[in-house]
Amino acid sequence: MLTVLLVDDDPEFTHIACLLLEHMDCDVKVASTLAEARKWLSSLTFDHILIDFMLPDGSGMHVVDEITAISSPPKVTFITGHPAIKSIIADLCDDNTNYLVKPIDKDSLSRVLGNNNNNVAACENAINKHFGSLVGETEAMQHLYQQIERVANTKANVMIFGESGVGKELVAQAIHNQSSASGAFVATNCGAIAKDLISSELFGHEKGAFTGAISRKIGVFEQANNGTLFLDELTEMPLEQQPSLLRVLESKKLTRVGGTQSISVNCRVISATNKPVDDIATDNVLREDIYFRLAVFPLTVPPLRQRKQDIQLLADAFIHEYNIENATKYAISDKQIRLLQEYDWPGNVRELRHVLYRAAIMSDPYDHTLLLPMQIGSPFSKTTQNGGTIEAGRTIDDVEKELIYATLSKVSGNKTAAASMLGISTKTLYNRLHAYGDFEDEGA
Amino acid sequence: MIHNNKKQRLEDTIHDIRSPLNNISMHAEIAKLALNNELPAEQGRASLEAIIANCKTCSELLQALVEP
Repeated sequence: MLTVLLVDDDPEFTHIACLLLEHMDCDVKVASTLAEARKWLSSLTFDHILIDFMLPDGSGMHVVDEITAISSPPKVTFITGHPAIKSIIADLCDDNTNYLVKPIDKDSLSRVLGNNNNNVAACENAINKHFGSLVGETEAMQHLYQQIERVANTKANVMIFGESGVGKELVAQAIHNQSSASGAFVATNCGAIAKDLISSELFGHEKGAFTGAISRKIGVFEQANNGTLFLDELTEMPLEQQPSLLRVLESKKLTRVGGTQSISVNCRVISATNKPVDDIATDNVLREDIYFRLAVFPLTVPPLRQRKQDIQLLADAFIHEYNIENATKYAISDKQIRLLQEYDWPGNVRELRHVLYRAAIMSDPYDHTLLLPMQIGSPFSKTTQNGGTIEAGRTIDDVEKELIYATLSKVSGNKTAAASMLGISTKTLYNRLHAYGDFEDEGA
Repeated sequence: MIHNNKKQRLEDTIHDIRSPLNNISMHAEIAKLALNNELPAEQGRASLEAIIANCKTCSELLQALVEP
């Protein structure tokens, strides 16, 4: 049983908090002032102190100073209802000190009591990876998950469409994970293989088949037997090489380069391209017969700008990954998430991951606060951004919010200038920001 | 000056309203536990009454903002 000292001068709050804490198997003692808290601390030992930041006879901060003299000091969680104080407390937090912002619910209480010392593990549990690889809960992703689930149970070949960096290989991996295939998942990038070596890479070769073929090589088709073969950047494969691929897809038999024996192969082929589906025919990058053989089930992975609500989850997942790899404890604030959501991410999830990793590298490891770059962007972002970001399916409120934040960013946060540029009164702008929950950050 | 006073009053109200809001949130947790038979039903009823009372407090605080 956890022993908890609850220090707060609001009797209604302490009464309800006691009920909740006792229901969570805690032994609770209550104090309404610093003096009473000191009395309890001099006579009993506690595992955890939940303390209001502002008490009638002084700041709860004094208790932190005093308990450092105790051989095994209790963990301390400050309770505050004031957002301005929240940022001050956040700076004080370490393994032993945490904070809770009102309004408080049972989960947040449970989190500070149960996982105070293990925030990283808690974070890991909170990140839900669909099919063991995909992160995101937006409607677009839910639709994708449904498609993956349906197609995984079949043997149909799948062609994945999506911009560069959206995670096409992870989707392929998800289909494989969800299927009942007994073989391996083998991935190869058609754009990275030299033209002369494509046949050898796909179908393998016999020893002495060509100069430099010093031993037998098993191709990716054979490696993926009874499993899944992922052909990334399929449209980069030269057209003249595509008939041999078609033959294998149709006959399910291959002959290694320089060999004579016909070998049966049984694998699902998942291919991917970053070209829009309409460009495939017009750009003449894929034979029609190959397309129909491989795109039995076409799947489109949405770009990140169409699922900006997932940025929070993705950022948490990437930072958690970085923290595990580097034994750091970085966290990202709500304000930083909003900043990330304002950007258009032409490089998609890959770009987001790189921006966060770069920020983590640049941040002070003792501060735990992530230092985002002043301006997020890549050499490729301008051309994409100029194309406009308004897509059908978004609400007017969403677009309005994005426009307001973009304008504020343009005028360095000057609300009068922003209101003038937007053609609305400053009062209306404040009302909107208040509605978005941004008012608290203004020091309310 | 008037603008500053108004802003201060708004900030004070925002601060004051957090206490009843917090009580609503925590009483709702108690009511949930009572509904799941993890706490006595009487406790749940008392928390629902407290939620109504705290809502009235919130309403009064907000009303005070628009009254001269």
